[in-house]
Amino acid sequence: MTAPDTRTVTREAKHYKSDVKPVWCPGCGDFAVLTAITKALAQMGIAQEDTAVVTGIGCAARLPGYLNVYGLHGIHGRALPAATGLKLARPELTVLAAGGDGDGFSIGGNHFLHACRRNVDLVYIVMDNEVYGMTKGQASPTTEPDWSESRLTPQGPGVEPFHPLSLALISGANWIGRAFTGDPQTLTHMLVEAVNHPGLAFLHVLSPCVTYRPEQKDWKKTVRREAFTPTEDPVEAQRVLETDDGFNAGVLYHGRRPVYAPAPEATAGMADLDREFVL
Amino acid sequence: MTADDRQGETVGGLDDLPEFLVHAIALEEDAAQRYDELADAMMVHNNTEVAELFRRMAGFSRLHARDVKDKASGHNLPDLAPWDLRWPNAEEPPETAAQDESHYRMTAWHAVRQALVSERQGYDYYRLVADRASEPRVATLAAEMAEEEAGHVRTLEEWLERLPEPPADWAEDDDPAGAPD
Repeated sequence: MTAPDTRTVTREAKHYKSDVKPVWCPGCGDFAVLTAITKALAQMGIAQEDTAVVTGIGCAARLPGYLNVYGLHGIHGRALPAATGLKLARPELTVLAAGGDGDGFSIGGNHFLHACRRNVDLVYIVMDNEVYGMTKGQASPTTEPDWSESRLTPQGPGVEPFHPLSLALISGANWIGRAFTGDPQTLTHMLVEAVNHPGLAFLHVLSPCVTYRPEQKDWKKTVRREAFTPTEDPVEAQRVLETDDGFNAGVLYHGRRPVYAPAPEATAGMADLDREFVL
Repeated sequence: MTADDRQGETVGGLDDLPEFLVHAIALEEDAAQRYDELADAMMVHNNTEVAELFRRMAGFSRLHARDVKDKASGHNLPDLAPWDLRWPNAEEPPETAAQDESHYRMTAWHAVRQALVSERQGYDYYRLVADRASEPRVATLAAEMAEEEAGHVRTLEEWLERLPEPPADWAEDDDPAGAPD
């Protein structure tokens, strides 16, 4: 008798949620991302044991604890290297890396560039609220130059914010989109597209921080749904981004770059390596 | 073209009973899930009174979902992805309470008012379907469901009348989350 194949069992979104209750502030946009992930995985029928969510540090990075899949709540800014290693070692897994704008674009900024360049087949979700929430509200790499609510930057950070989609595009990400937590159905749909597209898929999610950036509640009036027309042409995508104010949503780019392949089988054994280290 | 006409064009399940039933089940299940989420968030922030209220609302929504599922038994329901469902506001099911309207210091009055908005939206949805459906069985069932929603609206309106309005400084916190860096 063979064991039942649990991977063929129909799963509901709730099966992907753990029993741990989120400590996010009520009203936080990250709730919508958590729900979208569970719905997307259920819709795709991906087994919990075939899924891993890897994060760094920050409010958004708490995701793995709230999900009933494999997870790594790792080191600040290092979600992508850990996710990359995992995907290369276990290519059959669906790997989602996730975090916030500070974790992803500041502490982990360099990893972001090179993960896009490397184009490993994984999804990177950045929940962008333009602030460091967990450390009580400091300016992040995507904060406006004149945001003066933090005592650390009473006149505002005074520097222009990063444009994450441009960075992803020029660095080589193979799928790029922007979603909004106030439009959870589209967010779920885009997440499915991101998972299904080969290579590094970067999903930039506008996720309001109701505590430190309460004015972001107005994003629901500002975000333009399906403003991007997906293109395979990076030049066209870049042209579109030249006039992007950060509130255009939709799939911007779906490319055809070759996916980084796992290294071939090792040709040297441990004994060979030991010999190289003999003094 | 009126606002209702525009919404009618974007609502799903008007011509097909099984498709309408899928929408009705999703409407109730999503509402239950959001109320549970809000209840959990309130518990985490030690706002037990509001947590219990949201939990109660989640229970009601689950009961309604079960009721719709009973009505749907025997029908061959289509497998629609969440993004294939068509709602008046296109973003999420109309009875799902707005996540961004919650606050960790919100009172029962706020919670009931939030639920009331959701129930009214649920009523509006079913009424719209009842008025616009070309399939008579859809129109009849949607009208029944609109009546049920109207009952929920009346109940919540009564609850709201019995609750004291919160003071103007209800969100004031002696130890605010937004304390200095």
